[in-house]
Parts: sequence; C-alpha cells; structure tokens
Amino acid sequence: MLRIDIPERSNWKALAHELGFHFHTIDGEPYWKEDAYYQFTMEQVERDIEAPTEAVHEMCMELVDKVCHSNALMQRLALPEHMWDSIHNSWKSGQPHLYGRMDFAYSGDGPAKLLELNYDTPTSLYEAGFFQWVWLEQAIAQGILPRHADQYNSIQEHLINAMAHLGDRIEARTLYFSCIKDNAEERATVHYLQDVAVQAGLKAPFIYTEDIGLHPGADHFVDLDNQPIHALFKLYPWEEMADDAFGEYIPQLNTHWFEPPWKAILSNKGILPLLWEHFEGHPNLLPAFFENASSPPLPAGWVRKPFFSREGSNIELITPAGQREAVDGPYTDSPWIRQAYHPMPRFGNNHALIGSWVVGDRACGMGIREDVGRITKDSSCFVPHAIV
Amino acid sequence: MSKQDHTPHLPRRKRSGRLSLAMMGASAFGLTACGQPPQEEQITDIEFDQPRSFQSVEDCVAENVYTRSACEDAYEASLKEVPRFSTLEECEAENGEGACTAPTDEQSQAATGSTGGSWFMPAMMGYMVGSMMSNTNRGRSFERVYQEPVYRNRQNQGNWNTASNQATQRVTQRNDAMRSSVAQNRQAASQRRGFGSRSSARGGWGS
Repeated sequence: MLRIDIPERSNWKALAHELGFHFHTIDGEPYWKEDAYYQFTMEQVERDIEAPTEAVHEMCMELVDKVCHSNALMQRLALPEHMWDSIHNSWKSGQPHLYGRMDFAYSGDGPAKLLELNYDTPTSLYEAGFFQWVWLEQAIAQGILPRHADQYNSIQEHLINAMAHLGDRIEARTLYFSCIKDNAEERATVHYLQDVAVQAGLKAPFIYTEDIGLHPGADHFVDLDNQPIHALFKLYPWEEMADDAFGEYIPQLNTHWFEPPWKAILSNKGILPLLWEHFEGHPNLLPAFFENASSPPLPAGWVRKPFFSREGSNIELITPAGQREAVDGPYTDSPWIRQAYHPMPRFGNNHALIGSWVVGDRACGMGIREDVGRITKDSSCFVPHAIV
Repeated sequence: MSKQDHTPHLPRRKRSGRLSLAMMGASAFGLTACGQPPQEEQITDIEFDQPRSFQSVEDCVAENVYTRSACEDAYEASLKEVPRFSTLEECEAENGEGACTAPTDEQSQAATGSTGGSWFMPAMMGYMVGSMMSNTNRGRSFERVYQEPVYRNRQNQGNWNTASNQATQRVTQRNDAMRSSVAQNRQAASQRRGFGSRSSARGGWGS
C-alpha cells in the first residue's frame, strides 16, 4: 500500500459538475483529491481486504441472529423496546438489505483491523462506486496510470443487482428514496441510489424525510399526495427514527424500510464488543468492551466511542504514547464502548482509512478517506485507489 | 466465479467493465427517467353558488347563465335523480294521487339509457342547476355543474314555487353533507415532520 503523487486529470472539475458530483469541494475545502492515489497489490486487496470483509460480514450476520433472539442483547445494545418486534420480524422474514461499509485500519501488511461498521446510513458511495471508477478509466486513457492498472470496485454493478432483487419483492417495483432537507451531499448520495434503482428497473420517487406523512386510518406511511409508501429507502439512522415522533408507528404500519430494522443492530457501536465477545482473537477484530460505571479513566492505547455517533463525533482516543485526541459532538446520551487503539497508516501528514463495501452479502469494492487527524471525520478527503 | 477468471488470455479484473448513470448526470448523459408517481389530486374545499330553478331546458337556455349543452346535460342528469317506481300505485302512495306519470321515451332514455321497461315517476316540473367550485391539494380549482329535479309530490301538490323550494332544501342538505365530508377529510389530513425534525451534529446523517 503506497500513496503516490500523480497529475490530476485536466478536466475533472467540469466532469464532476457534469456527472452530478457537486460536493467535490465542501465549504471551500477539497473533498475529492486526485493529486495522489493509493496503490495496492492484487494480493493486498483480495487477501487483506476482500476476504476479511466477507468473513466479518458473516460474523455480523451470525450476531444479528443472536441479538434478534435475545431481549437481553437488545437491551444491552440500548435498542428501544418498541422496536424489538420490528427488528426481530424484519430479520425472521428475511428482509433483504442493500449495503454496508466497514472501516478498516490497514497499512499494507498484517491483518486489516475493523474500526467500525457503517451498516445503516453509509455514505461516500457515489465517490467510491462511480466517480472513482471514472477516474481510473480516464487516468488510464490519459496515460496517468499504466494500462494494466485496475481497481477493486464493482460496487455499482452489485448495487444494480441488489436493487433488482429488491424490486422483485416490493409492491409495484416502487421504492421511495428519502433523506433530510438542506444537505446537498446526502441528497446527491440518494440521487445516485435513485439512479441505480432506475437502472435496475425500479420506480424511484423521492420524498424528504420530514415530508413522510402519517395518515389516519392508513396502514402505510404516506407520501405528499397521501398515497401509501410501500417501500422506502432512508438515509436516516434507525436510532433517530425510533425516537422521533412517528417512531412508535413504525411497528404498526406496513411500510418496508431499507435498510431494514434489523440493521439497527449493526449500526450500533455496541456490536463491536459483542463481536469481540463471540469471536475473541479473530485477526481482523480489535479488543472491545462495554464501558460501565466502574470503568477506570480511559487508559493509554484505548479509544472511547458512543454507541450512536456519526462522522467521528464524540470519539476520544489516547495513543500508547499518551497522546490524546478527541472530536466534540452531541452524541452524549448513549452508552459507550472502549476499543483497543490501532494506528491507521500515515502517509506524510495523512492518516488513511479503508472503507470496504458490502452490497447484498458480497464484498465488492473500497474507498479511501484520509485526514490529518487520527479520527476520520466528515471533512476527511476521499482519495482514489488503484491496483497496480 | 465468473468465466472471465478462468479465461487465460483475459486479465483478471476487480472492477466492473461498464458503468453508466441514468438520470444523475447533465443532459449530455441523455437518459432522463423521471421517477415521479402519477400525481393524484384530492379535493380540499368545495364552494357552492345559489342554485337556479328552471321549468325546462329552453327556460334554462333563455336565462343565459349556462350554455345549451350545460342546460341539456343538467336536465338529463337531474332526470336520473327522480325517484322511480315499478307501479303507478306505489308512486302515488309516496307522492300523492295524480302526481305520477309514466316517463316519455326521451325521459326514459335519459334516466336509464333505454326506452324500454315500464316504470313510473312523479311528474317533472323542472330542475335546478348550480355550480360548484372545488379546490385541490395541488392548488387547482375547477368548476362543476350540479343539478336536482323539481317534481310534483304530496307536499307541493304541483305548486312550482313550493316544489322548487323543496328542491333547494334538498340541494342545501346535500351540499352541507359534502362540505362536512370534505372538512372531515381535511381534519384527517396527514401529519408530517414526524421524522427527521431534529437536527444532527453536522447537518447530516450519513456515516
């Protein structure tokens, strides 16, 4: 694994604009960076990323099954009780899921270590699945990369297959897509998923999360025309949904959600100590434990994370050398876990994080984010990769 | 494993061979797939004007309020609302002696779509026409004509003024019922903002 400086494609900003990638620069700061790329060998990709991703995914599925059959585990993960039946039923009835992203610390040798799962509302999908792929093709065409260069990326292809699979199972092949208002990046990610759905032969109308309606007597949530929403993709986390004003209606109504309710188990950092408990010593897992009232202050070499947090918020770490790093945030009302600190590789000033994608149940691609800090945040840059 | 992996002259590839966007790109990428569902309209409000009574289609046309075809359509539609009886006795028991008649071929055609069949109805003395303005949740307004037969019965004994007053009352009752059903619908309007109204740490929920 190397970070290699290369020339940018001359036309990339115009192309990004043309392809709907308007958030390549966020608040004046670059988000997409292509003045360098991360270089992997085929063996690194297949042995160290792809295979472990599928292995960890299988462990996760095994755990979901365990949690679904145990009220005690549901409680331990702080899942709200009114959601237990929905979670259990969605799993038992085999409701398919779309995707997830595992974040690994990996430096090119030794096993990749799972830092966390983003299995409910993963983003950076368009960048990883589409724009990165276009970059590779054009970089080869423009002589920036050698002709034999490749990329670990069949994300979009797998998304189309997964969507077609869902389409066969939902009313009128219609899947609504939703995200909250006033967030251009999330709207673009959802737009991309709508695009994929349309390519898979689905009807893919959009509704803002805030506009989802509850209609007296209706047995589904409704759209702005008060028409039933049979199936709905949400880029909005289960733990928020459950606590929202309409949360109590989720179990009563027949709307199918994507991701399905059972994903609440995996979008929760409490899954990390459970994974360690059940598969202790697995080479791709880091030791992790639930924090409790009698836990000592955070020792060196450990990381503290809330059950529910997004984009690095409220994460605190102390390196083995005693260096403390923390990101503020609002996620202070859920329980905490502690995970053994494992350094991300550093290239110059940048710490690189591997986002490894699972679509359906297949590992199918990755995207690299880098940050000057040790905690990857929403401001961390996306840098493409190639197998050379 | 796909065939490709075993074909010696093709290099093994970890990326897809071809990608496209269907709707996200600029128009240069051609395909537009508008995924909007058919837009269904719901009536949110109805207003009625005061109905007018006419003794015949010609009378209606002469008033110069409605077009001839509106007058004719309203007449035919009001005929459908005249009570029908299978015997003269039944009709007279309800409406009074001498109040009933067999329909003309034209009336029968308008009321049932055929000239056949023997049935009786209170004698038509005229009809009422009004207009109704509906507003919808899509901000559209449209006007429709409504109508009501004015016929002879026990209460009015063939007096046109009384008969048209009674018809007006029936119209008012019906309109009130419609108004309240629309109002009820409006009360049963959907609640929104039950999801996603809290703000997130960084204005988004992706991870």
